[in-house]
Amino acid sequence: MAVVDDASLIRESIGPLMPGLDVVAAVATVEELVRRSPAVDVVVLDLHLANLEQQPDARQGIAAIRTLTHRGYRVCVYSQEERRFVLAACVAAGASGIVSKALPRARAEELFLEVAAGGTVVPQQVVGILEVLVRRDCITLLSERQRQILHGRARGLSYAQVARELFVSESTLRGYWYDLTRSLSDSLRGLTPGEIEHALGLAPGDLLEFWADGTTDKAEATEPADPATRKDWWRIGRSR
Amino acid sequence: MRSLSGLWRVAELPTTRAGVERAFSYFTAGVRLGTVAQMVPAVQLGAARAPHEAGYLVCWGAAALAAVAVSVVTLVRRRPPGTVVSVLDFGLACALLVLGPLVLAPWDRFGTWTAFQPGYALSVIITAGGVRALGVWAGSLLAVSVCYVVYLGGDVGSEMTSTAVGNVLTYVVYALVARMFFGYTRRIARDADASRARAAELARREEERRAQVMMHNGVAVMRLLTEQGDDVSRARLVGQAEVELRRMRSYLRGTEGCASDGEGPSAGLVPTVGRVCERFADLNVVASLDLGTGLRIPAAQAEALERALGSVLLNVRVHARAHEVVVHLDATEPEGAWTLTVHDDGVGFDPASVTAGLGLREVVVGELRRRGLGVGIVSAVGEGTTVTVRSRPGPEAGPPGPAQPTVRAAFADAP
Repeated sequence: MAVVDDASLIRESIGPLMPGLDVVAAVATVEELVRRSPAVDVVVLDLHLANLEQQPDARQGIAAIRTLTHRGYRVCVYSQEERRFVLAACVAAGASGIVSKALPRARAEELFLEVAAGGTVVPQQVVGILEVLVRRDCITLLSERQRQILHGRARGLSYAQVARELFVSESTLRGYWYDLTRSLSDSLRGLTPGEIEHALGLAPGDLLEFWADGTTDKAEATEPADPATRKDWWRIGRSR
Repeated sequence: MRSLSGLWRVAELPTTRAGVERAFSYFTAGVRLGTVAQMVPAVQLGAARAPHEAGYLVCWGAAALAAVAVSVVTLVRRRPPGTVVSVLDFGLACALLVLGPLVLAPWDRFGTWTAFQPGYALSVIITAGGVRALGVWAGSLLAVSVCYVVYLGGDVGSEMTSTAVGNVLTYVVYALVARMFFGYTRRIARDADASRARAAELARREEERRAQVMMHNGVAVMRLLTEQGDDVSRARLVGQAEVELRRMRSYLRGTEGCASDGEGPSAGLVPTVGRVCERFADLNVVASLDLGTGLRIPAAQAEALERALGSVLLNVRVHARAHEVVVHLDATEPEGAWTLTVHDDGVGFDPASVTAGLGLREVVVGELRRRGLGVGIVSAVGEGTTVTVRSRPGPEAGPPGPAQPTVRAAFADAP
């Protein structure tokens, strides 16, 4: 796996602290990772990479996710960001997983491995949004069984609890859930902010500050981001 | 004046039984004084026609004095004559009957108040119906009847026999009626007192429960405040303490819980739930409330729900050791119905071996059910706890899902 985090302490310590992971690259910017192009199963990516002292023009956020996913990397966001629309935007941008830095080390390691193995880790906040989109028929590609799984998971039930209710094994349920979240993430990617705003009962334009417009997708990732792309996206302060 | 008015003030009666006994005393005094009033107009004529005037006046005076004395005593003691007084009273009535032939002219023994003895004996019989000792009462009644026969002597003409028999039967029937009246009234009073005592006990328990419900969350917050913690967590707890403080003040002022279900303004369900979730942000609460947008509930339900949700999250903070709490709100069928689910991924508990604490038992389950909401709590060791609140009790007790939960239900509404 590779780690992209502008905080050297974090990117250098993930390998030693999480012995189950094989960290082959730990870099400060997406540009550096693209330049090295290591072969990894997953890239653990901090959302906020720009900082005034070291790398004021570093590509970050949605742009960073898209840059990596366009190059075929599976991306697992590792951040303290908690706002659900920001997290949903990350999933919509192609992130395969989102892991909170507030989680215990062992749990975070477990989730990184899950994403590296091809799974999808969707935070509970985003599961809630996905359920609303399904219930409001904004996403319609779900079978009855998938709806049942989403129903239980949206209420916070564990894999084991949902599996018992559906009379399937936990491993089977996990497989269903991986397929479901991948399908939902794809569907979310295909939705416009306007459609999501309508489904969630938001005012037009409420999501624009969270949803990237995709203009950076084709930008040359090895170069620093231009001023337009390093705007203060999501209008937030720095969050680790 | 004050003592007199106090004597008659019914509102100060400590018990229904005391009130009934006082009513009996009024009844007794009324009957006895009424008898004296009937005796007074005939005293002069009776004395003039009596073969032994002095003896007649002595008997009359004894009867009047006894009637007044019994009336005064019963009014002062606020209860009808006891066994001893009744025995003496009966004794005097018997003596007057037995002495009757000596002080009355034979033609005066029937149908006139110059012959006051039979009427006086009847008043004694009626007012002695409250004597508790059955033997004393029955024996006295028999004695009076026998004395009445003695009173009649051999001078009763055949045309008066039916009247004499009727008078004896009057004694017996009135005695039975009076005794039944006293007895049944006393029994009703006993039942009323028992009901009052039960109502008082229930009211006391209800007040105790309300106080517990009102104080529980505040006590839990204060306990957490006394424990060591960082400034951020303490600041959050101070915010919660202020909420609980307002609630407790409201309770002490007697202004809490005024609105009943269905009355008063309604409250938005999403803002109500969201407000509580914000107070517990440190628990990593994920609030998925979009599906409940626009739902409104009565203010009283909202208040109970807010308190219950706060108690659930306090429980999570104190006991669950959870990484994440998911609060999920869903609008269900029929229109306006809803389900609120609170799930934590903490240590859970075994409902079979753990007795529900005051918070879950009263603040959550009890209060919400009193407000017409259905509550289900499902937990298992190592699998966290799920609390489900429904807008109306449904057949499913556990978290909503495609099938019944297989973990043990700690509390659930009956179908």
